[in-house]
Amino acid sequence: LERLSNLVGKPSENHPLHNSGLLSLDPVQDKTPLYSQLLQAYKWSNKLQYHAGLASGLLNQQSLKRSANQMGVSAKRRPKAQPTTLVLPPQYVDDVISRIDRMFPEMSIQLSRPNGTSAMLLVTLGKVLKVIVVMRSLFIDRTIVKGYNENVYTEDGKLDIWSKSNYQVFQKVTDHATTALLHYQLPQMPDVVVRSFMTWLRSYIKLFQAPCQRCGKFLQEGLPPTWRDFRTLEAFHDTCRQ
Amino acid sequence: LPGRSVSQVPVAEGKSVQQTVELLTRKLELLGAEKQGTFCVDCETYHTAASTISSQGQTGKLMYVMHNSEYPLSCFALFENGPCLIADANFDVLMVKLKGFFQNAKANKIESRGTRYQYCDFLVKVGTVTMGPSARGISVEVEYCPCVIANDCWNLLMEFMQSFMGNHTPGIPSVFSTKHDSIYSPADTMVQYMELFNKIRKQQQVPVAGIR
Repeated sequence: LERLSNLVGKPSENHPLHNSGLLSLDPVQDKTPLYSQLLQAYKWSNKLQYHAGLASGLLNQQSLKRSANQMGVSAKRRPKAQPTTLVLPPQYVDDVISRIDRMFPEMSIQLSRPNGTSAMLLVTLGKVLKVIVVMRSLFIDRTIVKGYNENVYTEDGKLDIWSKSNYQVFQKVTDHATTALLHYQLPQMPDVVVRSFMTWLRSYIKLFQAPCQRCGKFLQEGLPPTWRDFRTLEAFHDTCRQ
Repeated sequence: LPGRSVSQVPVAEGKSVQQTVELLTRKLELLGAEKQGTFCVDCETYHTAASTISSQGQTGKLMYVMHNSEYPLSCFALFENGPCLIADANFDVLMVKLKGFFQNAKANKIESRGTRYQYCDFLVKVGTVTMGPSARGISVEVEYCPCVIANDCWNLLMEFMQSFMGNHTPGIPSVFSTKHDSIYSPADTMVQYMELFNKIRKQQQVPVAGIR
């Protein structure tokens, strides 16, 4: 027996996978496919890291910084004075929003802060649509556009900032609104940005009444003209815009 | 609630009601609409009983009790130019109890049954209107779901209807002109159906003309 036990090889100490490699020795693959799942998770996260690296290289070529913060600069070169646009007192944000609320009679804005200091706006435009705007100090982070008759609250009465509209036309307008908030950028004057965005949004009061400026028709593939030009505020179909 | 138009499509020359319905549904499917179940709208007529008419010679009023499969828990009761009541489905039982005041004209029961189609944000219902055993006409209901103000989307609705109804696209319904900027409600749809059913009832067996 001693001779036989000396013949049994020692487990390889140079095992590259260490403990996770021991999982592969599990014979019951059907009930506990841990090892294959582990491999898949590992491959997936490697791929994710690789793609993220590629994406950040591509994105850094376009400077799309909406805030005046200099994120990529090293600590030594960072200016001593903190950029002020990201750290605005909530009272200032409230004031700006209430001033914009009074600007247009057909547009009403309700401000609430259910999740900390970040403001959430519920903009009601006539009887056409409702927009939920999530802000980060005075910068607009996300918007969701829904119909006038759709429910914007969750079951427990809070503002629902995640679910999309049930109607294709408002899903399209949501995409356009996201494009708009990326278009209107002025890092040093965020209140001008919010004002421009609201002026652009207000042009949707005639969403169902205005024909397309290019083709003259009301419908294209079942959708009314959902695009509003950023400068002239004219109505175009998504497929008709230049 | 969404803006809607209910209209009648005349039966094409030389074709039966069934064939015209098939023509319409085929055009809709070519556009890209998808079938989404069936629908049914029916209407019963009640006369005010003779015993309740006052001695001043007031003529009996006609009351219509209607159901719409789109609102399965409700019952609609309306007078011709008068108010529309939206009630619980138990209203039918109440009408039985009011036999002394309102008498059911059973022969006048009229209904429209057919398929529902969905195209983008539009809902189209093409139905065969039958009175008793005979098919009397075709009803087409077009609804644009995202818009709640009827007047706003009329041009849009009309453009859509022209794409599959062609020359039979109707004019603007009378309810739209009275609504102005108020929100559309299911009662307005039932009023449109009532007017349509009345029109069909007055027509002859095989309708040839008459676009509303």
